Amino acid sequence: MSAETTTPLAQSRPASNARWFQRQAKLAPYLFTAPFFILFTVFFLLPSIAAIILSFYKWNGISSPEFIGIRNFQRIFADGDFWQAASNTAIYMFASLFVVVPLALVLAALLNNKSLGLRGMWRSAYFTPVVTSTVAIALVFGLLYSTDYGLLNAILQAVGLPRINWLGDGTWAKVSIIILLVWRWTGYQMIYFLAGMQSISQELYEAAMIDGANDRQQFISITIPLLRPVILYVSIIVIIGSLQIFDEPFILTSGGPANATLSVAQYLYIHGIANLRFGLGSAVGLMIFVVVFTLSALQMRAFGIFRED
Amino acid sequence: MTLSKTVRKIPLYFVVALGAFLTLAPFVWMILSSFKNSTEIFSYPPTLLPDAWRASNYAKLFAERPFGTWYLNSILVAGISTTAVLFFSSLAGFAFAKYEFKGRTVMFGLLIGSTMIPFQLILIPLFIEVSRMKMIDTYAGLIIPFMAPALGIFLMKQYMSAIPNELLDAARMDGAAEFTVFWRIVMPLLRPALGTLGIITFLGSWNSFVWPLVMLRSEVMMTLPIGLRALTENVPGKGRDYGMIMAAATLVSVPVIIVFIALQRQFISGLLSGSVKQ
Repeated sequence: MSAETTTPLAQSRPASNARWFQRQAKLAPYLFTAPFFILFTVFFLLPSIAAIILSFYKWNGISSPEFIGIRNFQRIFADGDFWQAASNTAIYMFASLFVVVPLALVLAALLNNKSLGLRGMWRSAYFTPVVTSTVAIALVFGLLYSTDYGLLNAILQAVGLPRINWLGDGTWAKVSIIILLVWRWTGYQMIYFLAGMQSISQELYEAAMIDGANDRQQFISITIPLLRPVILYVSIIVIIGSLQIFDEPFILTSGGPANATLSVAQYLYIHGIANLRFGLGSAVGLMIFVVVFTLSALQMRAFGIFRED
Repeated sequence: MTLSKTVRKIPLYFVVALGAFLTLAPFVWMILSSFKNSTEIFSYPPTLLPDAWRASNYAKLFAERPFGTWYLNSILVAGISTTAVLFFSSLAGFAFAKYEFKGRTVMFGLLIGSTMIPFQLILIPLFIEVSRMKMIDTYAGLIIPFMAPALGIFLMKQYMSAIPNELLDAARMDGAAEFTVFWRIVMPLLRPALGTLGIITFLGSWNSFVWPLVMLRSEVMMTLPIGLRALTENVPGKGRDYGMIMAAATLVSVPVIIVFIALQRQFISGLLSGSVKQ
């Protein structure tokens, strides 16, 4: 490779070099894809295969692995904590789907409104949470939610409402996580809707305006139907993202109180990594994979994403 | 007429501004709290502005905890990762866009397939593998496994396809070897795409949490998110030092937010380019 880099651009080639020149042209694509191929095989393909195999073994990394068939899966399905984690994750998913997606859609419509000034500034403001470290922001929310000295309870009390035990009560803890998810992801999903809206022809709206349709009627009868593919696309990324939620409950509540906010990815971490139950953890990973892979495959089929033009 | 138009705009501005306020308020609270001492943070009802603007939380962060080291670790890891990702992604993207070769279709299929696989599937085997390679608690273990990401290669390939082949052939006629064509002709043309992928990669690495959490052991190796989390524990007999934590959160997030605002056009176009394509 170093020989190639030092080759000057314009160089008269003696005949003896012609063969080298042809050979390097032939080899080039293989050399160029080699780093990817090696890294992919070692750090992605092999671990993926290993995960499937490990799911059928009992192993703590020290003793020798023991084949136990489907007992990891049986154990997971018999574990109340897993079902708790699965139902919490489902709640996060539905909350994201029915709160984040509609909110992002409405927000995009507002920011797409021609009569709104400083649209770039508003867009940046709404997008800011996405670029921030989840850990940093979950810690900030931890302070805001604090029962005894948090800002939220101070506001509630100021308007005459009782304080809420945000992170200490099972139901409110879930609500707290959901508020954080909504706060963090609405602006991100909004970007997809904004891009979609900007590709809708202005003529449609002008025609509707002539027919006397107001903003809301235009939104319902033009924007939403034409954005259906984008809505579906965003919904699927929301579902896939929700299934992998980890940082927020990990930092904000550690999954508590009494597993009320535990997510499936956190369940995997606790059992697979912290308790060194590699087989069981891999089995959880395999289950997450099956769901995510199916959804992604549907998404690709529906949208032709990654099509090779 | 103009007056009624202005009046009608008021609700729109009100809703948009309220939403933006709610979005930015936690950041403002974070920055304000970072200047308060513990007595003030633990007072009720909370004060809005700190009674004095003290930098003691920031000073403590560097004096009592290795915050400077964490910062340096994060800059190093994110910087090296981004450089490596840009190089390997464009190199492979170039091959996929501009060459016909044996195994191309299979390899590209694998690449696309891998984007549908959640990280949780490989987390445990990767952890075992990396520990066998003695890369636990090292920069290498944080960087090497993610140096040639499928999405980066896909993104670069998309941009690459727009470069006319005649341009490459002209350079070859002049005697340029394939790598020279890539390095001197293709790379300069890719600058906008490199910017986009660079921002996404840097941010991803800077904020990355799960893998460093699994991998890092010693305090001196920690990156910022892991260090931030470490600030919340190991304080025997004391509650969380929220003032110091807010100072740390400010130093972790504010520089990134400023960079994002400066470069948001590229960042957003990058997010969209890997997605809705109809």
